[in-house]
Amino acid sequence: MSSASRQLFIKTNFDRCTGCELCQLACSERLLGGYNPHRALLQITHTCENLYHFPTVCNQCKNAYCANVCPVKAIGRDSDTSALVVDREKCVACNLCHRYCPLHIVGVDPELKKSVKCDLCGGNPLCVAACPTGALELAWCEKPAEAGEGE
Amino acid sequence: MMATSYMGKLLWVDLSAQRFRVDQTPEKLQTDFVGGKGFGAKLLYDLTRAGLDPLSPECPLMFLTGPLTATAAPSMRACVVTKSPLTGTYLDSFFGGRFGPEIKYAGYDGIIITGRAESPVYLWIHDDTVEFRSAEGIWGNNALAANDAIKNDLGEPEAMAVTIGQGGENQVRFALISCEYNRQAGRGGAGAVMGAKNLKGVAVKGTQVVNVHDLPAFKQACQQANAAIAESEVCETLTYGGTSTSIPWASLSGVLPYRNYSDQVDPKAEKLGDEAQHKHLFLGKAACFGCPIRCSQMGAVRTGKYAHLITDIVEYESAALIGSNLDIHDIRAVAHLVKLCDEYGIDSMSAGGAIGFAFEAAQKGVINAPEGIRLDFGSVEGAEYLIRSMALQEDELGRLLSQGVKHASEILGRDTEAYAMHVKGLESPAWGPRGTPGMGLAYMTADRGGCHQRGFMIGYEVGGEEYNGQPVEAHTVVGKAEILKGEQDYLAGTDALVKCDFGAFGVSAEIYARLLTAATGRRVDAGFFSELGERIWNQTRLFNLREGFRPEDDRLPRRFVEEALPSGPHKGQRISEEDMTAMRADYYQVRGWDEQGRPTEQTLKKLGL
Repeated sequence: MSSASRQLFIKTNFDRCTGCELCQLACSERLLGGYNPHRALLQITHTCENLYHFPTVCNQCKNAYCANVCPVKAIGRDSDTSALVVDREKCVACNLCHRYCPLHIVGVDPELKKSVKCDLCGGNPLCVAACPTGALELAWCEKPAEAGEGE
Repeated sequence: MMATSYMGKLLWVDLSAQRFRVDQTPEKLQTDFVGGKGFGAKLLYDLTRAGLDPLSPECPLMFLTGPLTATAAPSMRACVVTKSPLTGTYLDSFFGGRFGPEIKYAGYDGIIITGRAESPVYLWIHDDTVEFRSAEGIWGNNALAANDAIKNDLGEPEAMAVTIGQGGENQVRFALISCEYNRQAGRGGAGAVMGAKNLKGVAVKGTQVVNVHDLPAFKQACQQANAAIAESEVCETLTYGGTSTSIPWASLSGVLPYRNYSDQVDPKAEKLGDEAQHKHLFLGKAACFGCPIRCSQMGAVRTGKYAHLITDIVEYESAALIGSNLDIHDIRAVAHLVKLCDEYGIDSMSAGGAIGFAFEAAQKGVINAPEGIRLDFGSVEGAEYLIRSMALQEDELGRLLSQGVKHASEILGRDTEAYAMHVKGLESPAWGPRGTPGMGLAYMTADRGGCHQRGFMIGYEVGGEEYNGQPVEAHTVVGKAEILKGEQDYLAGTDALVKCDFGAFGVSAEIYARLLTAATGRRVDAGFFSELGERIWNQTRLFNLREGFRPEDDRLPRRFVEEALPSGPHKGQRISEEDMTAMRADYYQVRGWDEQGRPTEQTLKKLGL
């Protein structure tokens, strides 16, 4: 490994989003084995009479309120992808993560009864693969090494 | 229980009693009619009696999904089925957007609404809860404002809604239902049926998961469907410019309505086509649910009198019927007029037909223009005046035209029937059939009246599509019935899924069969849809026969029959009485119907009806 750190993320391009929800279908299929966009782990907001479509994905925050508020420390960082992932064994479904997430994009699924959030599909996000227009792109954020943070 | 993409339940709502019940989707309905149009054809026949007033409380208004609606199968829709107050026929009207899938996420294969609320209401359906909520404060809103108002009232921005505008409230016979978001169940007046029920809107939100029988096989079939769409040149054209590219093409091909169909060539067609719309309107795209084609081009008028109007693409039918048919060629003005229709909630196709009729009647001195209004071809103000007066029922002329050109010409008399362009009361779509008699036959026999989506014969007759490996001659009636029957059956069968016509340019019968098999566990092959479609088609015919329709109703408007085209590639062409008689006889024969257009015992038995 170089001394710089690389972090995977999904870049959203609202200029290309058509609001088709194929991303949400792919996401709910992986999560639930079936389809329901409301229960997908990314959102689309349609505004201005359907002229604009804004996809929103989990920010995988550095200062993650969801993880900060979790009383049982169920949300932690995956060492491969750097995504914040929920340990369902630990999760007690209190839904505090949802309440304090600025995007409300993490939270307890009504059927699974556990908190669910985007885990970047382990590094190969299905929403990105499903997007027909490039409104969702997989990207690496490269950060120069800082003192005390190198390998 | 075996997983399947059906939800297995129908929601029955009685607005008079403000009650609802949930029943299992009958197994036989599922087996024999599959979904969407199939469900509608069977249910409408069974739930009504001959002569039922479509605007009476008893008339059912049904929102129906299919087994592939709400799944990841690309380009699927849903439909509204009821009896048409415009034609008196069976009516289905298909819509894309996001409302259809939500019905299934709430747990239902369909919603069937009867009765009439005492005062305006809207329905709020969230999973197994159904609320009847007052719409008194929303009544009078236009269709798009009502969508916002309902979501605000509920505090549910993610709910999906259908609404009517003032046109539906006033029971304009071609009022539409505006479906999340600004997608129209446009034709035939379903919005008037909704208005007659005092039902301003239906909002739905659901948390249920739509499952499939065999997920790996389903995912594979979806990949094949998406690949087929990606490879389709027609789908690519639709992605580029929606249906607007058809405007210049239709004029060159001599099938574009011009000045109330007095001709089928428009010298200024290009001003309404894709180039003009790219230049003046388009900004981005809006896709319907689960659709990679994204044919809808969103944009805005940026300059001139109508500046800053947000507008969807002016799709082919509207551009032709509000544009070239009225001799209006400022695409910004056409966008404005179509948007008015969308907001008031009236069908822009029928509105264009009614305005064209009125302009010609005014030219001939049959109707008088109100003070200060010019009722003549090319008059944007005249068109705007009529749209408003029809939707809001502001004056006698508006009330007359809002009944459609068939009724209006019957009331006016004075030979106005000669230029009332309709089949069975449904205003003619924007594909002039002189020169393409197969298209004429499609209009003559379509289940909901003059409709281009029940067999698009122009594709064969001038579009270069081959039939059994052979080119199809345009100017002949011979052999058209057989081709048309195949088209009608296949389209009706796949309208049970509920497919979008545009996705079907890419997705083959084989792939639809794989999708359906994987979704439901029922093994079907590519031939399944034509067989199913034939059953559905005969079921809708039985409905129309029971309503009293006869062979003489399977005919074209007089202009197509009596007046030869003055110019263009089909100059001199018309579809004579003899042509119609010959095609009708062929058609009844290939359908297994008797000379009165009734399915024979043998045909009904073969189809299990």
